[in-house]
Amino acid sequence: MNSPTVIDVERLNVSYGDFHAVKDLTFSVRRGELYALLGTNGAGKTSTLEVVEGHRAATSGKVTVLGEHPLDRRAVRPRMGIMLQESGFAADLSVRETLALIGSLSGRSDQPSRVLDVVGLTAKVDTRVSSLSGGEKRRLDFATAIYGSPELIFLDEPTTGLDIQSRDDLWDTVDRLREDGATIVLTTHYLEEAQQRADRIGLMHEGTLRMEGTVSELTGTLPGTISFVLDDAMAPHLPLPSSLTGTGKQLIKTQSLQHDLHELLTWAHAHDTELYDLDAGPTRLDDVFRSVSHN
Amino acid sequence: MLTIARSELRQILRNRLVFFSATIIPVGVSLLLITQRDLFSTVPSGVGLLAGVFMIILISMGLYTTAVSTLAARRQTLFLKRLRSTAVSDSSALAGILGPPVLIAIIQVTAVLTVLAVLTDIPAEIPLLIVSGLSLVAMMVGLALATAGITTSPEHAQVTTLPITMGTSAVAFWIGFTGTEELGTLKRLLPGGSATELTINAWNGGTDLVDNLLLLGPTVAWIAIGVLLAKRFFQWEPRR
Repeated sequence: MNSPTVIDVERLNVSYGDFHAVKDLTFSVRRGELYALLGTNGAGKTSTLEVVEGHRAATSGKVTVLGEHPLDRRAVRPRMGIMLQESGFAADLSVRETLALIGSLSGRSDQPSRVLDVVGLTAKVDTRVSSLSGGEKRRLDFATAIYGSPELIFLDEPTTGLDIQSRDDLWDTVDRLREDGATIVLTTHYLEEAQQRADRIGLMHEGTLRMEGTVSELTGTLPGTISFVLDDAMAPHLPLPSSLTGTGKQLIKTQSLQHDLHELLTWAHAHDTELYDLDAGPTRLDDVFRSVSHN
Repeated sequence: MLTIARSELRQILRNRLVFFSATIIPVGVSLLLITQRDLFSTVPSGVGLLAGVFMIILISMGLYTTAVSTLAARRQTLFLKRLRSTAVSDSSALAGILGPPVLIAIIQVTAVLTVLAVLTDIPAEIPLLIVSGLSLVAMMVGLALATAGITTSPEHAQVTTLPITMGTSAVAFWIGFTGTEELGTLKRLLPGGSATELTINAWNGGTDLVDNLLLLGPTVAWIAIGVLLAKRFFQWEPRR
């Protein structure tokens, strides 16, 4: 069942002088999903996000967010939380004052103490922002984004600078927000987070959307791999075509991992042959990412 | 807007360096001039000169430089972008940030001119003096927005604000010491020139009201120039 779309981007173009940062970009984000917008450095995702968040006007194209024009702040911002890539807080304000200020300006209502408790900053309420660590500033940034539980939340590199426990806590909070119906737009360089969390992923390169789909749809575009070390004498008799890697391992690429792995193991058993350092797995998202950036 | 203004005022009061530059230095310079007021008794503009110079110095140093530094700092730390990620409009965000420096400058000018009036004479045309002061505040806010557009950091502001602060102060002294009998048009067209003459006239009295109101023209033109330049050059985020 298709949910109503929360973000609609049609033929978006963003230019800076002669530089064309985003070219005819079209994508949509459905209500309640976690959409990860990924890309290489300079792919145009920051420019895209800035337009969708309402920080920048599009050069051309049509963008609607929650049914409104993203530059109409009064209409959109009370329903949208933004976690910026860099904090942008006043150094001389305390944590509580900062959240109260940004929260009240967001047009949403909430209790700062509740939100600070959610992000684990209760002990720092009276600490000035200038004295916070990088990870604590990210958590404060996250607090401003989830203040008032908005229906659409942008998370720009949310876990950069966070320790493992803080990352887990952040994702637990995101999961709870999603259970309440929030839509999440994520950008991250941690591809494993996108692979684990995203319902759909858009892969940008050189200003265009090169691939889009679920994780399995994206990884399904490339073969899985089986690698192992084998006695040289047995290599010519392998049941499947293979190649030799630079580290001396046999490498089999397969579109049918389970079937081909079964065939290989059956062959090895029948020939009483040991497959040393055996490793088998489907394509990972970073393989897809590399294929996009290299192509 | 008031929420932002309150947080800005809180930051000014907490940051000793900003607080010092925003309050102590202009007040100190003015008090020094008051103690030396006898030196100005021989010039034709009299105490009106002191009022005109005080007004320019306090508003250029206390408001203009503080406004440029603050805007550059808020942009550099991405605080302006942060404000734009909320529901407030651009004009409200700017009004909130510039409100406290404007308020402090008005309090400074009022306090210093009150001291001057107590030490010398009460100004002849107080409403005209208020109009002159407010027009100067508006001009400096417009020029501050424009200057902030070409200022990349608070440190950079120490350089970019010099032409206006030094220029307007020099024009004030020029008009105060030499009047506007010669090169009058040039002096009035320079930034702060007509406002200085208006302040002197308002303090000393004895001038035609219509002529005085016409002196608002150049200041209004500088306000418009400042706003136009700001629209062209002002940046909400650091240049990439």
